[in-house]
Amino acid sequence: MIDLEFTLNGATESLAVQGNWTLLEVLRDRFGLTGTKEGCGVGVCGTCTVLLDGRPVSSCLLLATNVADRNVLTVEGLSVEGRLDPVQQAFLESTAFQCAFCTAGMMMTVKALLTAAPAAGEDEIKDYLAGNLCRCGTYLEVFAAVKRARDLEQARTNGWGAT
Amino acid sequence: MRRFDLIEPRSLAEAARELAADPESKAIAGGTALLILIKQGVYLPQRLVNLKKVRDGSYVEFDPARGLRLGALTSIFEVESHPLVRRHYPVLADAAHKVANIRIRNLATIGGNIAHGDYQSDPPSVLVALGARVATMGPEGERRLPIAEFLQGAYETALAPGELVREIEVPAPDPDVTGVYLKFVTRTAGDRPCAGVAAFVRRDDGIVRSLSVVVGAVSPVPVRLRAVEEQLTGRRPDPSTLRTAAALAAEAIDPVGDLRGTEWYKRQVVPVLVRRALEQVLGLPSS
Repeated sequence: MIDLEFTLNGATESLAVQGNWTLLEVLRDRFGLTGTKEGCGVGVCGTCTVLLDGRPVSSCLLLATNVADRNVLTVEGLSVEGRLDPVQQAFLESTAFQCAFCTAGMMMTVKALLTAAPAAGEDEIKDYLAGNLCRCGTYLEVFAAVKRARDLEQARTNGWGAT
Repeated sequence: MRRFDLIEPRSLAEAARELAADPESKAIAGGTALLILIKQGVYLPQRLVNLKKVRDGSYVEFDPARGLRLGALTSIFEVESHPLVRRHYPVLADAAHKVANIRIRNLATIGGNIAHGDYQSDPPSVLVALGARVATMGPEGERRLPIAEFLQGAYETALAPGELVREIEVPAPDPDVTGVYLKFVTRTAGDRPCAGVAAFVRRDDGIVRSLSVVVGAVSPVPVRLRAVEEQLTGRRPDPSTLRTAAALAAEAIDPVGDLRGTEWYKRQVVPVLVRRALEQVLGLPSS
């Protein structure tokens, strides 16, 4: 076993992991954080997306030991004190899901996109989200949610409150 | 996932010693290629050496005279986004950007990409066209060899047991060279290439002085199209010479059929991609 210490949704966590455990397994089976889904298991579909030091990664292909001393954010860590993150609020308002299996991964990728490239245009948004698959086909609503999330985030930054 | 022992060295030298100590063990870096093979039961290791905790393997260094040095553990995302790569090697940055999706590019490493020897990938053809070299380290010391010699077949490289990729070197850029990398996919946007073409040209007064055209993902290793290069060098290409070039490309390749396209299909795709790449680097209208 390997001793692992990392930050998970803002809290320091320690546990012993086996070398072959993925972060996805640790999140779901050890921490009960089942918001992160396993879809394809081979890094293609994006349902297991979490943020590692703010960057999206496939938790199904990331050995848990490799998050040592790093920051992991899952969908459960998006809202703060019961207040939805602008990305969550925007997905709700835009109904950017149908079955919602892809939603957690989609939202994490959108969160990273809006942090990395707040001014991203249509092409950049599509390029960044190209690796998150939605089998219900709610892509147009997801693109709308990205723009809505950006507006909501800006409104919060400017102190206008949620509009 | 099937169990394996994971050794966690803190330096490349320590990693090389661990690999040499057990010739059956393999290095794992980003894990985005190897873990899929393990999950699918194609590869069943007993012992892996984790390079992700090595502290001296991720760097991007550039010198106008010596060129670019990429530490093997530099992520594909770092290659695509690093200002020095983007400025001096925009085609390499573009090929890195075209790999898989943002999640994989954040995990996968450029050294792993090369060491894995997967022919269905984007950076190798550009690195071959740029004349990159691979620096390795192992029990016999360090070696440097052209990437075209390093890549030996599908999932086959020149790495000896106990050896690992330390660094990738790309020669100093020529400001008069124009290049492009075109990727063709047949499934999702982030899929591995069905075919990819890297083309670099240096012209003088409209005449092609030197040309490098490499086709990737079609044969077990990237293929340099020498016949096309010879046909166009010393000439002032026009749409008709490019049609001949495309026909020469079709003759020069020996495609391997796979999930991204049959042998026949790739034979149709490659000449079109080669023509388009040449049109772009030569500034000719697309036909």
